[in-house]
Amino acid sequence: MKKGLYETDEAIIEGIRSDDDRALAYLYKLHFPMISHLILSNSGTDDEAKDVYQEGVIVFYEKVKSGSLELSCQIKTYLYSVCRRLWLKRLAEKGRFAVNVDDAENYLMLEDDVPQQEENERRFGVMEEAMNQLGEPCKTLLEDYYIRMQNMQDITDRFGYTNTDTAKNQKYKCLQRLKKLFFATYQAPA
Amino acid sequence: MEYLMYEQIERYLAGRMVAEEKAAFEALLQTDRRLAEQVKEHRTLLQAMQQYGQREHLRSKLNKIHNQMETEQTGQQVTPMWRVFWKRHAQTIAVAASVSLLSVFGTLWSVQQMKAPVQQQTARYVELRREVDKLKRAQTAIIKDINNTAKPAPRPARFSGTGFALSASGYLVTSSHVVEGADSIMIENTSGVKYKVHEVYRDQSHDLSILKIEDPAFAGFGKLPYTFKTAESDLGEKVYTLGYPREDVVFGEGSLSSTSGFEGDTTAYQISIPLNPGNSGGPLLDDKGNLIGVISGKQAGQEGAAFAIKSAYLLQIISELPQATTLSPVTLPKYNVLAGNSRPQQLKKLKDFVFVVKVYN
Repeated sequence: MKKGLYETDEAIIEGIRSDDDRALAYLYKLHFPMISHLILSNSGTDDEAKDVYQEGVIVFYEKVKSGSLELSCQIKTYLYSVCRRLWLKRLAEKGRFAVNVDDAENYLMLEDDVPQQEENERRFGVMEEAMNQLGEPCKTLLEDYYIRMQNMQDITDRFGYTNTDTAKNQKYKCLQRLKKLFFATYQAPA
Repeated sequence: MEYLMYEQIERYLAGRMVAEEKAAFEALLQTDRRLAEQVKEHRTLLQAMQQYGQREHLRSKLNKIHNQMETEQTGQQVTPMWRVFWKRHAQTIAVAASVSLLSVFGTLWSVQQMKAPVQQQTARYVELRREVDKLKRAQTAIIKDINNTAKPAPRPARFSGTGFALSASGYLVTSSHVVEGADSIMIENTSGVKYKVHEVYRDQSHDLSILKIEDPAFAGFGKLPYTFKTAESDLGEKVYTLGYPREDVVFGEGSLSSTSGFEGDTTAYQISIPLNPGNSGGPLLDDKGNLIGVISGKQAGQEGAAFAIKSAYLLQIISELPQATTLSPVTLPKYNVLAGNSRPQQLKKLKDFVFVVKVYN
């Protein structure tokens, strides 16, 4: 990996936009120590640091991918602000209220993004939960079709269904169950 | 075949319907509220699933990166805890350190300040050799030079002190620090008699030097009015001296205030006569006109503490003289003509035997 390639924030964003994994890896490694320091110096563990940082990177990544990123600061500051908010939320969930965080960096409040981010997180959480409750083979079947975009014929062959109709019927039943599980807890925002 | 319905919805959402079919479906949506609801739900579900998939994918990627990073870093990050601690408390530590440094050096400094006057009082011995005002001399020399270019201007003396006669045959004594490093030495008294002398003997430990007049025109001093006292003088005795702290002879009077000198030096007296540079080598006489010592120095920063070498040590080196050099023994004066005279009378007789010692180098 050549370091010089991603010297500027713009280069990194451009790399992520064009699905360059090296750009992502570079970004990840570049800022992890900062977040790790933040979490560790505010009563967190290594694993929590990793979790929070990955969530922050995911938020950033999704924003880049959706094209809604309007960066008015450095990526570093953005990531720090997101992770800071996430960590405060986690502390609150654990019932430990951090009175004030020892900040080693500047940060932004990012109020505009918060509702959208929280909605995304909630939806993801519910979906993850539903998928886990769904069980096999439904989970893999749905993942193959809807996420990995495989065609019905391949799926039929792999799962050993007699024909594509059986497979489609099976998929329908699975989807129906997922829908029930998902909407049982998820309320679309008004 | 309920799933056909789902397929239809999915095709609609993916935008894969042909124009007429789409129009028909949209028309149906307008009327059938249940269908519309289902489409909306399905869209949400598909979006959520896609997002889920994306996130899962991304997370696995990040995990890979993280593991990769950790394997790269093993060994490098040994103890990050102290670094964390340091980063958190660096400012506090810096402030604490500077405060303690400041107080340490502040205390040292103020202790030093308090000690300073004490130190000033601790004695410093000053030899009373006079350094002649060089600049003034140099200036007049230049003016003389302009007026009379034919003759080179005489070099001014660098230092001066006082000396006095030991015998009629032309021996004198002065302090050895006066004639230290001299090229040539001249003596002169108030009556204007001027001789060139040279140092014949020196006792560095008692700071005494014997000079001898080498001028062929010198015919002898005549009878010396004072004698040398061999015994030690008593405390409180009235003493006086003549010397050349400036161009003219200056009289100074006081008492013998201690029978030991600087820092308990038993070879010297302490006397309460105000002395100045140039007095070194002068005679110290008592009321009866006995020579009891040779002025040598004073204590810096303290008034009225001057010192004189006891005459016993002067006599000792005079007796050493014949053995140390090839010179004939010095015949010391035997009769004191000062005793019983008033002080001005004494001085009148005395002053011709007290000389300014000019040192050239």
